[in-house]
Amino acid sequence: MSKKTIEVVVNGRTHRAEVPARRMLSDFLRDDLFLTGTKRGCETGVCGCCSVLIDGEVIKSCLSLAVHADGHEVTTIEGLAVDGVLHPVQEAFVNHGGLQCGYCTPGFIMTTVAMLNDNPNPTEDEIRHGLNGNLCRCTGYVGIVESIKAAAEKLRGN
Amino acid sequence: MKDFDYLEPASIAEASEMMLAHPGGSVMAGGTALMLALRQRMVTPSHVISLRRIRDLRGITHTPAEGLRIGALALHAEVARSPLVRQHAPMLADMASRLANPQVRNQGTIGGNLCYGDPATDPPSCLLALNADVVLRSARGTRVLKVDQFATDYFATALEPGEIVSEIRIPPSAFDAGYHARFLRTAAEHRPLVNFAVSLRKQGDACEDVRMVIGASTRVPTRLRKAEDWMKGKTVTARLAAEVADLGASEIEPISDIRGDGSFRRDMARTACRRTIEDLFNPAGSAATSAA
Ligand SMILES: Cc1cc2nc3c(=O)[nH]c(=O)nc-3n(C[C@H](O)[C@H](O)[C@H](O)COP(=O)(O)OP(=O)(O)OC[C@H]3O[C@@H](n4cnc5c(N)ncnc54)[C@H](O)[C@@H]3O)c2cc1C
Ligand code: FES
Ligand code: FES
Repeated sequence: MSKKTIEVVVNGRTHRAEVPARRMLSDFLRDDLFLTGTKRGCETGVCGCCSVLIDGEVIKSCLSLAVHADGHEVTTIEGLAVDGVLHPVQEAFVNHGGLQCGYCTPGFIMTTVAMLNDNPNPTEDEIRHGLNGNLCRCTGYVGIVESIKAAAEKLRGN
Repeated sequence: MKDFDYLEPASIAEASEMMLAHPGGSVMAGGTALMLALRQRMVTPSHVISLRRIRDLRGITHTPAEGLRIGALALHAEVARSPLVRQHAPMLADMASRLANPQVRNQGTIGGNLCYGDPATDPPSCLLALNADVVLRSARGTRVLKVDQFATDYFATALEPGEIVSEIRIPPSAFDAGYHARFLRTAAEHRPLVNFAVSLRKQGDACEDVRMVIGASTRVPTRLRKAEDWMKGKTVTARLAAEVADLGASEIEPISDIRGDGSFRRDMARTACRRTIEDLFNPAGSAATSAA
């Protein structure tokens, strides 16, 4: 088996690991680092539940090799809370019915964090378009959009 | 996914040599298309040759004489937000900002998009309407092709063994307006059922010159030459827009697949064409409503 040594900063911690060249980033996070907050759903780039941040930009970790993360910074859902205090986006999803079964939630939250970094005051239309890489089978999206509006407001300091 | 060896060449020449040394290998840019093919074992390369360390494939620059140069590794998101692209080819930046979804825009490259030859994509028709050049390089030298020479058939390109696309060039042009419209089968779809790209030069209500292309519904992006000829030099009325759209729709050979059959695609191509022209000219009597 062809192996490669990679160095990746995940949620602020540097990991040096030897991985098979064909290891997907999603599998590396879940099976090697045991960060199981990142989900595997379709594994074909459609559902978005595997979304993570690389150097602050949201990507689908099922479409990327772990070796491609070498030398980069990855943030997963586990990296958002600080000292047990939820990130404002997480808190908003809890308070505004942004989830039911929760399987899609880590992906929606990572996408939202990136969206609000780029655009702190999105319109409802921008929120909906910004979510078109994420699928939710439970909520009907209304609670998710409400959560994002509330999170945006909180992050803007209102 | 089958096991493979992973290589990271540092230059175009090195990449080209690796490709020739490993004829069973695959080149990878962002990986969004290749990963799916690997996972489904549609391709089982002996080597994956990643282009990500090749600096000459990056960057977006502009000179008044040569126009825009977009490195093959430019991400869709980089094309969308580049001030140079927004200034000199606004329809390309606009198209890139609406393509796929935020994640794929941060992962997929413009070069990978062209090289995969997947008809259900947006950049090829847009680039053909912009008269773009595709620059191919290998250890043997450089070739420059137009998009319709580069895209040869369904999932097929003019790339030869050892060749990679290094950049896309968009020459300065006399066109002063344009738009790329994409029509999705349902709002939840990612990929276009049909898209329509137009570059034109206006003189008041008249169209002095025009290039029109249908993509995503045909094996390769297709110029609407009869429709172009009919439109040139005429005042654009709602009636002319309808005539141009009828002619254009008759010129394409639509594909049939899970996204839609050929006759549906022809209808949607006609509609996208008519609505886009109406939006650009806003003639009296048109029901101008944007295509998606
Ligand atoms: C969920 C989803 C939705 C999508 N929706 C859209 C959409 O709405 N519109 C749209 O246009 N596209 C869409 N796409 C397609 C996407 O744009 C392409 O997958 C992407 O641009 C391919 O680029 P890449 O860098 O990831 O290519 P890779 O996967 O790395 O490579 C693709 C192919 O090109 C070859 N290759 C790559 N770069 C080069 C090069 N420089 N020289 C020679 N060969 C090369 C590779 O060998 C491979 O065969 C979607 C994809 C996904 C997964
Ligand atoms: S698991 Fe990655 S997009 Fe569905
Ligand atoms: S909450 Fe169940 S899939 Fe979204």
